[in-house]
Amino acid sequence: MVHLKKYGMFLAFIWPQWLMANDIDVTMHYIGPTEGQVWLGVQQGIKEANLQGGFLGQKYKVEVVEPEALDKTNVETVLLLATDDDYIMKVAQSEQFAETPVINLISRNDKLRQACIPNLFHITPSDEMRADALAQWNEKNPDKPAEVMSWHKDFVKFAASQLNNRFEKNQGEAMTDQAWAGWAGTKMIADSVVQTMQYDAKFMLNHLKTNLVFDGQKGDNANFRENGQLRQILLLVDNNNKIVAEAPLRGFEGGLDSLGKVTCK
Amino acid sequence: MKFKTLLLSSMILASTSALAEPTHRLFATNEKDNTVSVIDSRTLEVETSINVGQRPRGIGLSPDQTMLYVAISDDDAIAVVDVKTLELVKTLDSGDDPETFGVNPVSGHIVISNEDDGEATFLDPKSGEKLAVVQVGIEPEGVAVSPTGKYALVTSESSNMVHIIETTDYTAVAHLVVGARPRGLAFNSDGSLAYATSEIGNEVAIIDMEALKVVKKASIDVENSKPMDIKVSPDDKMLYVTTGRGNSVAFLDAKTLELKGNVPVGKRVWGLDLSKDGSTIYTADGVDGTVSVVDTAKQERVKTIKVGAFPWGVALDD
Repeated sequence: MVHLKKYGMFLAFIWPQWLMANDIDVTMHYIGPTEGQVWLGVQQGIKEANLQGGFLGQKYKVEVVEPEALDKTNVETVLLLATDDDYIMKVAQSEQFAETPVINLISRNDKLRQACIPNLFHITPSDEMRADALAQWNEKNPDKPAEVMSWHKDFVKFAASQLNNRFEKNQGEAMTDQAWAGWAGTKMIADSVVQTMQYDAKFMLNHLKTNLVFDGQKGDNANFRENGQLRQILLLVDNNNKIVAEAPLRGFEGGLDSLGKVTCK
Repeated sequence: MKFKTLLLSSMILASTSALAEPTHRLFATNEKDNTVSVIDSRTLEVETSINVGQRPRGIGLSPDQTMLYVAISDDDAIAVVDVKTLELVKTLDSGDDPETFGVNPVSGHIVISNEDDGEATFLDPKSGEKLAVVQVGIEPEGVAVSPTGKYALVTSESSNMVHIIETTDYTAVAHLVVGARPRGLAFNSDGSLAYATSEIGNEVAIIDMEALKVVKKASIDVENSKPMDIKVSPDDKMLYVTTGRGNSVAFLDAKTLELKGNVPVGKRVWGLDLSKDGSTIYTADGVDGTVSVVDTAKQERVKTIKVGAFPWGVALDD
């Protein structure tokens, strides 16, 4: 009896800790190409998620889903998409994913944002954000043409150089816009799991909408606008592929929200 | 009786050798012009600047305050400078890309964060021997060693953690999740509590060092605040936090984390140091290229000193 009691006490003491340390095993589902930059970005995100989660006994993996198998797939946490716009729209609006975060990694189409689908999020900056960034640049530098990018291999500030270094070291090529989007979409989910210790899709959907604090290694906290677009700075790059400015440019009101639409109105 | 006398005299000897007469010099690393500014903290005039290597960042003193250590990031080294003569005594191999470090106040060992490798290196500055390399998260940054020397804490910026490492056997005993992009660390005077800042999370977390758990977190209500470096007042009642692009030093109640004051300093303020009597804060104002001097009682900046390009950190020999 005494032994049993002791044993029970021991179990009661160790059980919750054991649960917390081992019970998190996260699968992120993905539809899109399994080669090229966006895929490398996803791979890098998963690698970092496992490095981080490894200290806490958590494991992360990405499962590639064929579109025809999607309706039979149990998406536990998140669905990441690098597909065409019609497909994104269809999947996000389906009943199956009404309470699941669906993340558009690389489409810039403004219509997807304007649709304001409550479970649909957009990582890469919209066409409109890019146009606004360029307009700010042109207003101050009418004689110097520039191109807008969301990421650049020579970007150094906000620890961007560290991300560039480790991406190139691990993936064998320089990080571009699409790779950053793949990385950010994946890393943000892993960071959210680490912060909350929860990974249920419904919880994650609410968390992304209301409580997300994400370090996209582009400076300020990257969180989502009402229309599902991720807030972030943009880069202006000149003819020689040299970064010449960050948007929003100095002197423009509204901070990050001076680029593109914010609300669903 | 004889033994007692011997003991007493050796104790005196130990205490005198433990603390050299302070030079009252304030040192600031200038990341972008590869110099360390030397300021007389009594006159607040720049005395000279010394060249110790490429991209100096983290800065600190040996426990006996005879040596200044500077992390030379691009040279993968720690420079050791004689505080009195200002001569470069030696450079130590630090492992790849040392960002900053903490000094164990008991053993004198240096604990370095190797940013690009995700490692913490333990180094004996006397022999130059690497004692251990411990795997931590991505982009390790801030380091602090507890007053008793038992624990080394390391933040990993991109893994959102404070790693707690036992210095006796170099094993990590806990990995605590804190707010996004953790940066600076500090202990209270007896080491029972530690504090961690989070730059993107705009938070300060309190860590109970008995339980090895985060017991409280709060955000800093200062515009554009991006918390960086942190120090605790000698009476353990106040926290001083540099706010980065908030361009200020925030004064927080060490228990409740309530904002008790906010003193504007230079642009993009990073490192800070506090005088031993708690009366004065010195900050490295990155973009302005200045060191600000803040009177803690008045809660105001009393002097701005021009230094080199992009000052990163400061250390006071007082």
